[in-house]
Amino acid sequence: MKLQVTNLSKSFYYSPVFESFSLSMESGEKIGLSGPNGSGKTTLLKMISGIMSIDSGEIKIGENDVSPDEPDPRKNVYYLGHSVGLYPGLTGHENLSFICGLYGKTNHNILGVLIKVRLDSSQDKLVKFYSQGMLQRLKLASAIILDPDILLLDEPLTGLDADGIKLFESVLLKWNETNKTIIIVSHDSEWLRTNTDRIIDLKQC
Amino acid sequence: MLIHFILKDLKIEWRSKEIVTSMFIFGLSVTLIFALSFQVAPGLIRTFAPGLLWVVILFTSVLGLNRLFSLEREEHAMWCWTSAPVDRGIVYMSKVISALLFVLMSEILFIVPFFIFLNLSTNFSFFQFALILFLGTGAIVSVGCLISGITLQAGLRDVLIPILLFPSASPVAIAATKCTESLFDQKPMTEWNFWFLILGSVFVIFGLFGYMVFNRIVEE
Repeated sequence: MKLQVTNLSKSFYYSPVFESFSLSMESGEKIGLSGPNGSGKTTLLKMISGIMSIDSGEIKIGENDVSPDEPDPRKNVYYLGHSVGLYPGLTGHENLSFICGLYGKTNHNILGVLIKVRLDSSQDKLVKFYSQGMLQRLKLASAIILDPDILLLDEPLTGLDADGIKLFESVLLKWNETNKTIIIVSHDSEWLRTNTDRIIDLKQC
Repeated sequence: MLIHFILKDLKIEWRSKEIVTSMFIFGLSVTLIFALSFQVAPGLIRTFAPGLLWVVILFTSVLGLNRLFSLEREEHAMWCWTSAPVDRGIVYMSKVISALLFVLMSEILFIVPFFIFLNLSTNFSFFQFALILFLGTGAIVSVGCLISGITLQAGLRDVLIPILLFPSASPVAIAATKCTESLFDQKPMTEWNFWFLILGSVFVIFGLFGYMVFNRIVEE
């Protein structure tokens, strides 16, 4: 699915983070976002996913505008943030089931995906007792289940061990084959270079 | 979708029992303080009881609302629905219903001790009393959920909720007190239905208003 950002502007307390920023992504393209802290990498992903409002400009997913009053375009996008974004008081399985409900997906595949990310033995454990690596795996599981057309991945490797990174890379390969449009934020520019089609350095924008 | 959100809140509360328990203990403590402080003038209790009851309900509601919305802030859990294809107004409605359930549950628990400790007679219509409690609490939580939504991203939200809620909910507290006072004095409903209608109107108007604006106020 095509993603189009046109003349996007965003300021925090009169300090502009984006001024007339534009970005065009074709279906199946994989972009890496890099830049120093505060350059707006997470802000950009949050604005595309609809979590954060924009000051001016336009974000189009396919043919539809992203707008707070229009929930429909958001069904094609999934934001996997650097923060947990899950309920600590629910179990891993319940969190995935809740997220499936939000996107109108059936939840009978949850166990299969939990086995895939090797969290099946912890599925009934409350998320507040998960380690950082387990949380990353659970977030990855949510992205696998929802299977959206556009994935916004914010520091997806944080907290993952070598095995977890391998798992993530294998999922990334699968997403490549299914023509997903992906934006990945990472500070590891070497990793971005080998795993994305092009890199946008936000400090140069 | 509405039930999906309500069930999520109920499930979390069923496990932790944080909201209802803390509201009940707080409500009971305030009731005890009122009961002990009015020992010097027991004759005044009957006059002040309706107002005291709604002060306790208003205070406990703040506690419950604060906790209920904290669930969304912990680990940025709200991101999972702010980025999802759901009408965020539904989330507001679910919060009003969850908050109403939790506050009513705690009311059921502390209202009995309230009547016992303040030595109040119960020669009034329980049905009408339940109706006043339902509408009054509903009006408070519909205003409260809107304010909690507005302050969801704010750093000082624990302080902001009571500061914004008490003035906004004061017409509700006044109307609910008038209704309760008239009921305790066994006045016919025709004499106080004006206040009763105010409670209903606030509940409906703020409920609809919250539903319409919640889409925008929860955005970062």
